[in-house]
Amino acid sequence: MNAVLLSGLLGVVMMFASFLFRTKAPVRILAILGMAVLLVANVLDTKGIHFFHVNTTGFLSFTGYALFFNTIVIACTLIFFLISSKDMQKVGNHYAEYFALIFFILTGIFLVTAFTNLLILFIGIEIISIPLYILTGSAKKDLKSNEAALKYFLMGAFSTGVMLMGIALIYGATGTFDITKMNIAGLLKSNLLTAGMLMLLFSMCFKVSIAPFHFWTPDVYDGAPNVFTSFMATIVKVGIFVGFLHLFYTAFDAIALQWKIWMAVLAALTLLVGNITAVFQQSVKRMLAYSSISQAGFMLFALVAMNETAHEGLLLYAIAYCLATIGVFGIISKMTDYSFDGFNGLAGHQPLVALCVAIFMLSLAGIPLSAGFLAKFYMLKAVIQAGGYMWLVIFGVLMAAVSAYYYFRVIQAMYFKEGPNHFSGISAFEKCVLVGICVLIVFTGLFPNIIFGWMYF
Amino acid sequence: MYLLAIDWIFIIEKLVLIAAIVTLSMVVAMYATYGERKVAAFIQDRIGPNRAGPFGLLQPLADGGKLFFKEEIIPLASSKFLFILGPLLAMVTALLTSAVIPWGASMNIGNRTVPLQVADVNIGILYVFGVVSLGVYGIMLGGWASNNKFSLLAAIRGASQMVSYELAMGLSLIAVLMLTGSLQMSVIVGEQYNAVWNIAYQPIGFIIFFICALAETNRTPFDLPEAENELNFGYHQEYSSMKLGFYLFAEYINMFISGVIMATLYFGGYDIPFVNEASLAQHIGENWVALLTFLTLMVKALFFVFVFMWIRWTIPRFRFDQLMHLGWKRLIPLALLNMVITAVVILWLKK
Amino acid sequence: MNITQLLFWLLTVIAIGSALMIVTSKNPVYSVLGLIVTFFAISGHYILMNAQFLAIVNIIVYAGAIMVLFLFVIMLMNLSRATETLKNKWLQIVGAIAGSCLFLVLIAALKNTEIKKNLVEMGTGDIGLVKSLGRELFTTFVVPFEISSVLFLSAMIGAVVIGKKE
Repeated sequence: MNAVLLSGLLGVVMMFASFLFRTKAPVRILAILGMAVLLVANVLDTKGIHFFHVNTTGFLSFTGYALFFNTIVIACTLIFFLISSKDMQKVGNHYAEYFALIFFILTGIFLVTAFTNLLILFIGIEIISIPLYILTGSAKKDLKSNEAALKYFLMGAFSTGVMLMGIALIYGATGTFDITKMNIAGLLKSNLLTAGMLMLLFSMCFKVSIAPFHFWTPDVYDGAPNVFTSFMATIVKVGIFVGFLHLFYTAFDAIALQWKIWMAVLAALTLLVGNITAVFQQSVKRMLAYSSISQAGFMLFALVAMNETAHEGLLLYAIAYCLATIGVFGIISKMTDYSFDGFNGLAGHQPLVALCVAIFMLSLAGIPLSAGFLAKFYMLKAVIQAGGYMWLVIFGVLMAAVSAYYYFRVIQAMYFKEGPNHFSGISAFEKCVLVGICVLIVFTGLFPNIIFGWMYF
Repeated sequence: MYLLAIDWIFIIEKLVLIAAIVTLSMVVAMYATYGERKVAAFIQDRIGPNRAGPFGLLQPLADGGKLFFKEEIIPLASSKFLFILGPLLAMVTALLTSAVIPWGASMNIGNRTVPLQVADVNIGILYVFGVVSLGVYGIMLGGWASNNKFSLLAAIRGASQMVSYELAMGLSLIAVLMLTGSLQMSVIVGEQYNAVWNIAYQPIGFIIFFICALAETNRTPFDLPEAENELNFGYHQEYSSMKLGFYLFAEYINMFISGVIMATLYFGGYDIPFVNEASLAQHIGENWVALLTFLTLMVKALFFVFVFMWIRWTIPRFRFDQLMHLGWKRLIPLALLNMVITAVVILWLKK
Repeated sequence: MNITQLLFWLLTVIAIGSALMIVTSKNPVYSVLGLIVTFFAISGHYILMNAQFLAIVNIIVYAGAIMVLFLFVIMLMNLSRATETLKNKWLQIVGAIAGSCLFLVLIAALKNTEIKKNLVEMGTGDIGLVKSLGRELFTTFVVPFEISSVLFLSAMIGAVVIGKKE
C-alpha cells in the first residue's frame, strides 16, 4: 500500500511543482528524488514495514510477487527518468505535469498488479489509460502525435467499454466482483460467464496489443513523443501484463481448459504478425513498435503456461524487455533520424553508444548471456512444463530467430556501414546510465538466481 | 376505486394538483411580464403599461393575444422538427421543475391527507437539478435549428454559461444538504419548519446559489444569450409568434420556480415566520393553514422575482470572459470553501 | 400484466428504438437526441428498480452535461449530411458481420439468465436510495471510491495539459 498512496501523493506534489518552480531543473530533480523515495518505500513494504495502515476491505492484496514486480517497475521508471527526463523538455511546456501523469500511471500499475476485485482492475486500467492518451498527444504541434492520441483514445475507450461489459456479465454469472470468491468451477457451462470472460480477455489483449487487437500499436507508438513511447511500450505494458496474468490465474484458472488453446493461438498469431511486419519496417522506432508486439506474444506464453515458472519468467521478461527498450529509446530520442539509415556508422562517431545499442538489441533478440535470452528461455520452459503446447514452443523459437534479423540490422548499420552523424550528443551522466543499464542486462543474464533469491527473501 | 391495481383517487388528486400548479406557474409568469414592465417603469421613473384595463392589468392578455395571432415563420433552411422542439423543450423543462416542490402544508379533504406536493421523491433536489440541466437543450436546439450565426453563437454561449454555473450551484447546495442530511424537499422544509431557516447557517451559500440562479435563468447581468447589441436578438432571433412567446414565457416561469426553490431551500419554504402553524391549525382548521402557508411561499417567491427584476434594471451586463471568470475562478472555489467549512463545523459540533 | 410491467416494456421499446435511431440517423444532431432519449429510457428502468439516485445522476451527468458537450462539438464543427465519408463497402460488411457475431454471443449469454423471475422491483428494496448507496460507498466500497479520485485528478491534469495554450 506504501507505493500506491505515495505515488498518488507524489503526483499531486509534481502538480504543484509546476507553479512552485520557474525553471525545469528542480522539477526534474524533484521527480527523480520522488521516484527514489517511492523505490525505498516499496522495498520497505516488501520487508514488512508499512507507512500507512489502510484497511483495504478486501479490494487489494499485496502479495510478495506483486510487491517485487512493483519494485521492478519503479526501478525501471527511475532509470527511465535518469536517461530520458531531459528529453521530455522538448515535448512541450507542461514539464511537471508530465511527471505527475507518470506518477499517476504508476499508481494505476500498482493497483492492477494487486487487485482482488474487478472494480479495482477497471479503475487501475483507467488510471493507466487516461494519462497515456494525454501523454501520447502531448506534442500538440505535431499532427502525428495528435492523430495517435485521438486514435488511441477512441480505441482505448471502446476497449474499456468492452471490458466493462465483460465485468458486468461476469458479475451476472457469479454474483461477485471479488476474483477470489468467484467459485467458477461450478459455472462451467454458463454462457454468461464465458461471454464475460471473452470480453475481458479481448479488452486486456487490446491493452497489451496482442495480435488481432494490435492495430493501434504501431501508429500510437510511432506518433507519440519518443520519451513517452519508451514509457508506454515498456513499463505500462508489462504492468498490465502482470494484471492480466493475475486476473486469469486467480479468477479463471478453474476453467483454464476452455481458454488455454485460444491463448496459445493468440500468442502464436501475435508472434507471427509482430515479427513479420517488423522485418519490413524502415524506421527503427516503428520497428520497435512491432517488436513490442512480438515481445508481447512471448509474454503471453506466461498465460498459456500459468505455473510458477511462468510467473518468474514474466518478471525476468519485464526486467529484460524494459531495460533494453528504455535504453534504445533513450538513444533514439537523441537521434535526428530514426530510420535504419540514421544509424549508419554510429560505431565510428559514438563507439560507446553504439556498443550499448548493440547490447540492447542482442538482449531484445534473446542472445545468450543477456537478460533477454534468459527471459525467453523461462517463457519457453514454462510452456514445456505446462505440457501440451510443444508446437507453440517450436514456433516461438522460430520467431525468435526471425526477430534476430531486424535487431541485427541495426547492429549491422552501426558497425558495417558508413554514414553522417545523426546523433545530437549525450551528457557524461547519461552515458553512465546507459552503461549501467547494459551492466544490469548482462548481470541479470548471468546471475538470474540473485534476483529470484531476492524475490523469495 | 381500484382498477388495474391503480388507486384512481390518488391519480385524480395528483392530476388536479398538477393542473393547479401548471396554471399557477403560467399565471404568475404572465403577470411577471406585467410586473417586469411596471418595475422597469418605476425604476426609470415612468408609468409603464396603463392602457389595457385598470392599471394596465389586462396587458399580459393583450400581449398573449398578439403573439398568438402573429404570423408564424419557420426559416426554410432550418431543421423544422428541431426548430419546433426548441421552444417546446424550454417550456416543458421550465414547468417540470415544479413537481417536487412542497407548495404548502398538507390539506385534509374528506378524511384524506392531501400533501400539496406532486411527488415527494427521495432524490428531491437532484430531480430539480436534472431538469434544470436539461433546460440547455431548449436554447441549444432552437439556436442551432435557426440556421443563423447569431443564434448559434447565442445558443453556445447560453449552454456554456448554464453548464458552468450549474457546478457552483450544485456545490453551494451540498452545504445545505449536509445540514439537513436529506435530498427530499419535504425534509428540507421540515427541518426549517418552526426552526431556524437555512439562510442563517448558509449566507454565503445562498448568495452563490442566487447568483447561479440568475445565470441559469439567463437574467441580467447574465443575459448574454440574448445580448441584443452583440447578437441581434440572441438564440430566438428567428422565432416569431407563440414559439417566441414560449421562449420568453419559459424565462419567467424559470424565474418564478427558482424563486420558489430559493425560498424552499434557504427561507423555510412554506413556513410562516414567527407563527406556530400547529397551534394555528387548531384555531382555524388545517385547510386554512395550508392556504396561508401556500400564500407565504408565494410571497417569498414573488419577492425573489422582484429582486430579479430589480437587478435587471440596475446592473449592466457582463462581458463573456468576465462571466466565465466569475463562474469558474470565483464562485466555484468559494462554494468549495463554503462546503468544506460547513462540513468541518458540522463534524465539530457533532463531536 | 400489471402497470409496472407495461412501463417496463414501454421503456424497453423506447430505449431500443432510440438506440437504433442513433445509429441509423444521417444527421448527427438527431443521433445525439436519440442518445438522450436512450438515457432517459434507461433512467426509467433504474426508477423501476427503485434506484432513484442512479436514475437522476444518469440524467444530470449524461443527458445534462456530456451530451451538451457532444452537441457543442457537432454544432461548432457544423457536421451535416454532406460530410459523411465512410463509403467502403467491405468495411461496412465486415462491421455488420462482427456486430452480428457480438449480438449472437450476447443473446447466447443472456438467454438462460433468470429473467422470468423478477422483471421490475418497483418501490421495494431501498438499495438504490441515496442513504444506503452513500453508506455502501463510504464503508464497503471506500477503497475504489477514494482511488477513483486519482483517476479524476489525472483527467483534470490531462485537460490542462491538452487545453492550455503553449
